[in-house]
Amino acid sequence: MTSLATTGISLSYGDFQVLDGVTLSMSLDGLHGMIGPNGAGKSTFFAVLSGFLQPSAGQVTFDGQVLRGARPAARASMGLGRTFQIPREFAHLTVRQNLMVGPRDQPGESLLPLFFAPGRVRRAEAEIADRAQHLLDFLKLNAVADKPAGGLSGGQKKLLELGRALMSDPSFILLDEPYAGVNPVLIEEISQRIREINAERGIGFLIIEHNLMALNRLVGDLYVLDGGRLLAHGEPDQVLADPRVREAYMGAPAPSGAEAT
Amino acid sequence: MSYADYINLVINGLVEGLIIALPALALTLVYGLARFPNAATGDIVAVGGYAGLAAHHLTGSLIVAGLAGAAGGAVASVLAYLLAFRPVIRRSVITLLLTSIGVGFVIRAALGVAFGHDPRAFDMPLERAWRFGDISIAPADLSLAALTLLTLALVFFMLYATPLGRSLRAIADDPDLARVSGIRRERCMLAMWTIAGVVCGIAGTVTGMRTVVYPDAGWNMLLPAFAAAVVGGLGNPLGAVMGALLLGVLQELSTPFVGFVYKIALGYVVMMVVLLLRPQGLFNRPVGVR
Amino acid sequence: MLTYLLSILVIMGIYMLLALALDLQYGFTGLINFGLAGFFGVGAYASALLTLKAGWTPLLSFPAAMLAAALLAWPLGRVALRLRDDYLAIVTLGFSEIVRLVLVQEQWLTNGVQGIPGVPRLGAGWGNARFSDMLLLVLLALSIAVAVAVLRRVTHSPYGRTIQAVRDDETAVYVLGKEPARFKTQVLMLGAALSGLAGAYFAHYMTYIVPDQFVPLITFYVWMAIIMGGVARLSGSVAGAVLLVLFLEGVRFTRGIIPGVSDADMGSVQLGVVGLVLILFMRWRPQGLFGGRGAR
Repeated sequence: MTSLATTGISLSYGDFQVLDGVTLSMSLDGLHGMIGPNGAGKSTFFAVLSGFLQPSAGQVTFDGQVLRGARPAARASMGLGRTFQIPREFAHLTVRQNLMVGPRDQPGESLLPLFFAPGRVRRAEAEIADRAQHLLDFLKLNAVADKPAGGLSGGQKKLLELGRALMSDPSFILLDEPYAGVNPVLIEEISQRIREINAERGIGFLIIEHNLMALNRLVGDLYVLDGGRLLAHGEPDQVLADPRVREAYMGAPAPSGAEAT
Repeated sequence: MSYADYINLVINGLVEGLIIALPALALTLVYGLARFPNAATGDIVAVGGYAGLAAHHLTGSLIVAGLAGAAGGAVASVLAYLLAFRPVIRRSVITLLLTSIGVGFVIRAALGVAFGHDPRAFDMPLERAWRFGDISIAPADLSLAALTLLTLALVFFMLYATPLGRSLRAIADDPDLARVSGIRRERCMLAMWTIAGVVCGIAGTVTGMRTVVYPDAGWNMLLPAFAAAVVGGLGNPLGAVMGALLLGVLQELSTPFVGFVYKIALGYVVMMVVLLLRPQGLFNRPVGVR
Repeated sequence: MLTYLLSILVIMGIYMLLALALDLQYGFTGLINFGLAGFFGVGAYASALLTLKAGWTPLLSFPAAMLAAALLAWPLGRVALRLRDDYLAIVTLGFSEIVRLVLVQEQWLTNGVQGIPGVPRLGAGWGNARFSDMLLLVLLALSIAVAVAVLRRVTHSPYGRTIQAVRDDETAVYVLGKEPARFKTQVLMLGAALSGLAGAYFAHYMTYIVPDQFVPLITFYVWMAIIMGGVARLSGSVAGAVLLVLFLEGVRFTRGIIPGVSDADMGSVQLGVVGLVLILFMRWRPQGLFGGRGAR
């Protein structure tokens, strides 16, 4: 069973219920979206999925395995990648180096092989450099490949984070607002890259976004979170036409309009 | 060890704890508003000690000495803020921390060159300790403790019962919200640094009266004050005082078991244990420490 | 004159090892280590005691000193590594002070505040004191060369890339399936070993060590060195150590120029200069004189 599923995820800070019984199940090779007004708990949900926060109730199942208390690094090792709302690039490393940090279990990351198995380290590095170059081509970041990542534009950083996540060989990626702060031209680029990655490598995505227009065109199904609860789920057009969803966004325009607040 | 011996240790611990409570409070105030641990805190204490000493030499009055100590500390603290900290106040914690190390060094160097390294003592009248059975209390300790308590009371009154104090606490709780709601940040910062300086200055005078004044005296208070502030919860004024009292008593009570040298180490060990088990401090709500 | 030059070079060399250690920890990995003096002291005492009291040859006591310091770094790592910057600084500072207190208190082992005189010179059986000093300098230079080569391999490798990633954004490292804690612990231990080696050289050069030589001031001298030289740059650490010693010695020479500054004041003036340099560099040139990535 290849899915990412949660049952009854709840989380509260004192009296404040941030997540309330969120239960869902999605295919690992699909493109899924998650929307909701600010404060609905979307990023908190991501934090629970990726292991940064422990829920007060409920459990997460990834690819058949129950992730109980597993730390973020362990979950990433299982193939669950994620990006962040505000990009977390390695500012003082070049774009290329950022990508090359990505792959897991590099022999050169351990001191003993570094000094006693230089051949193995060298071969692994060559392979990683190769993969990185392919991604640089794919993401069209060649122009800035050897510049410090801290100097990139917002959109470029988002692409870089996506690339870096891909380098870690995930089976599923949690994308947190990939379009936030990105100029419209790059938005379409990013969407196209996501489609290609999904089609060519079978990697699925769960995407949090506020840009309903762009998200609508990209994903196959949409989850709506409001006040920590799962409000609706279904095909994007259906969900966006749902009056409860419209109400939750408080006067959001019809799906063909601009972003919700 | 008789029961009276323990009482004596506790009393001593409370007095020592009260004195450490002052720089611990200063540390926590600066941390709350300026968001960095000020390693120069101890040296501001030393400035207060010398200011108080000079005033006492001139006038022979302990009250004037205390006021001079407070004033000296305040001046040093505000100058440090204006000249060294304010220009880099928006930079990373490590920048501010290293700057404060530098400020502390400069102050210590100036004191060393100006006053020399020999410890100086206040001309205090020698008084017999009051005895209640086997329990003894030095009257000097009592008056110094009273002075410290008075200072703490005044600071807490200011923090919790005046508009300035409300503003300071608001900024510490949520700097962005405070900025938006129009609280005059610069005025509050200056007030905070002044208060921190006054508190340190009094601590310096009190310590000087109780023991001696020397340029490194401040640095030797720094780590215990840090430990107290961390144990109580950085940013929490009441926590800093409770932490200081707790550590003071614990350290004194441990002396018969671990000796004079290791009782100092106890403070650091307790601090590390607290950071491991309850990083936000004993009196704080959970905040990001990791 | 030669003796003076020799002593300057030896002190520079010792600070080079310390600066390399700190740069690995802070410049490359972002660890704020305010406890360097503690590892320095442990190395010094370990080698001194093993050679003097247990009759070991320095050939064995030097590696033992490195090992002792590295082992001490391990529990510190367990305690401190999950802490944020400023807390890590306070804890490491407390740690080095605890080390110093142990050195003072455990008189049966360390002779307390009186210290350990008569630490054997290197090659004592082969020549006089001048010969020992030169031998020490040569070995020290070799050690530095090896240290630089090792650190270069470490920092210019996937390992180096990942520790810099930990420095730049630890959270992002987690989601790539890597545990920052492993890297931080190893870096702490590696840096501690280098500091312990510096301590061993120090002990056998000075031949008389006391706990007061391992105070936090030494740690901040080394911080000044890497800040001046430029963080995250091995050549910068080496240059910074040279600058540091030149500064400290330079202050000594001003004694002749500035009237009214006594010997006792010299220590204060040195302190003041260090403080001023820290303040000014943090404000105007945090990346150091020779630039370098990773300045925060």
